[in-house]
Amino acid sequence: MSTVLDILGTAMMTAGTGFLLMAAFAFWRLPDLLSRLHALTKADTAGVALIVCGAACMTSGIAAVLSLVLCGVLVALSGATTGHLIAQASLEDEERA
Amino acid sequence: MTQLFDALLAVGIVGVAVAALFANDRFAAVGAFMVMGFLVALSWVRLGAPDVALAEAAIGAGLTGALLLRSARRLRVEPKMCQSRWSVAASGLISIGFAGLLYAAITSVPTVPAYPPLVAERLGESGVSNPVTAVLLNFRAWDTLLEIAVLFVALVLVIVVPVSRVRPAPLGEMVVPFAKVVVPLSVLISGHLLWQGADAPGGAFQAGAVLAGGGLALVLAGAMRLKKPLQGGILRATALSGLAVFGAAAVATAALTGHLLGYPDGQAKIWILGIEAVLTLAIAATLVLLFHGSVRRVPK
Amino acid sequence: MTSETMYILAGVLLAALAMHRLCTARDALARILALNVLSVGIAMLMLLAGRVAGVTDAVPQAFVLTGIVVLVAVTAALLSLAERISGGDDD
Repeated sequence: MSTVLDILGTAMMTAGTGFLLMAAFAFWRLPDLLSRLHALTKADTAGVALIVCGAACMTSGIAAVLSLVLCGVLVALSGATTGHLIAQASLEDEERA
Repeated sequence: MTQLFDALLAVGIVGVAVAALFANDRFAAVGAFMVMGFLVALSWVRLGAPDVALAEAAIGAGLTGALLLRSARRLRVEPKMCQSRWSVAASGLISIGFAGLLYAAITSVPTVPAYPPLVAERLGESGVSNPVTAVLLNFRAWDTLLEIAVLFVALVLVIVVPVSRVRPAPLGEMVVPFAKVVVPLSVLISGHLLWQGADAPGGAFQAGAVLAGGGLALVLAGAMRLKKPLQGGILRATALSGLAVFGAAAVATAALTGHLLGYPDGQAKIWILGIEAVLTLAIAATLVLLFHGSVRRVPK
Repeated sequence: MTSETMYILAGVLLAALAMHRLCTARDALARILALNVLSVGIAMLMLLAGRVAGVTDAVPQAFVLTGIVVLVAVTAALLSLAERISGGDDD
């Protein structure tokens, strides 16, 4: 049982790391702020969520799993909110210019 | 494998620091500085110092980054004076010498552990089992008292130096629901960090920083209006209470045991937790006020 | 090269680069930022100085924690002074 969970956890963490790497690559390659935000907010949230699920498979105890889930939820929430705020600020700057 | 990770992390820290120090754009510089803070926190976890890593991530990267971002737009950009090549070269030489001295000093530190045996020997009497909390609030509680005094002095300075306030732009409709979720969570996490600080990484400073994050969300969402005399007054009184209660505890312990901040036998944990609970609220209030700055009364 | 040596080098480089920037920058924000980077470098070195046989000493850890909190207060105070100096003419 534990080996199955370990394999599942490792697979999910690898996939999550891949998402984060893609986000970093997109941040490096994409030309402007909005397209960067578009790539970052989604890939980041997905990557962190996958890593959280993977880590949850490999830990034992409800408290550890709950705090991991809390991490994932907070990252998703703040990522979405800050993404929105940054996009809004850049639009306002453009209007002013 | 772990060495490869450490090498990548060390190179990453230096690279991001260069970006933070030498970027032309202010916002890029502050962003790189925050990333550096998080990378450094990660390296401190690797070095077995999770308490410090938590504080660096929350305060060093998060709150300092917020402060710098706040000021980035308000501060006038200095016109680039043409610097003489000689002064740049002299500064470079001084910095290289400084680096050499630092490296020589750090590699000549004696490798005999001085404090750990002493800390381990007395940890049982300290009332807590996290050695960092034991040092901060028992063995060297004096330092922490003075640190709270420094925070207080900085707060007084920020309050008596009013700045011409730039009206912040409205933050849009996402912030209020965000604050509604994050503020209760920050209270929960802060309480958890405070309680587990006794025997695991955490403590008053980390808890206070998390609570301050929630407070900033309230301020930015417009729910906490520090211009109103009542709300501002309550927050200032909370900020003051840290120094007042810590000082009173020092006097009380001196009266009870004859030593300043020498807790009575067997009661150390109660004292430490009591002081830490007040400190958490006071630190959070102080940090929110430091971010918000002083409010100039506009005469009607 | 051990992991400790790498982090020592990173700390030394951080401190030296920040020192250089502190000496040459004219912009107040850049200077305050450099001061913060300098203190992070020094904190890194303090932690490593107290690290013997793979265990980081609790006493330097407590000092660094104190330093981080003091630094945020100092940063806030410096920023408000800088804002006061910079914005003195527009009100």
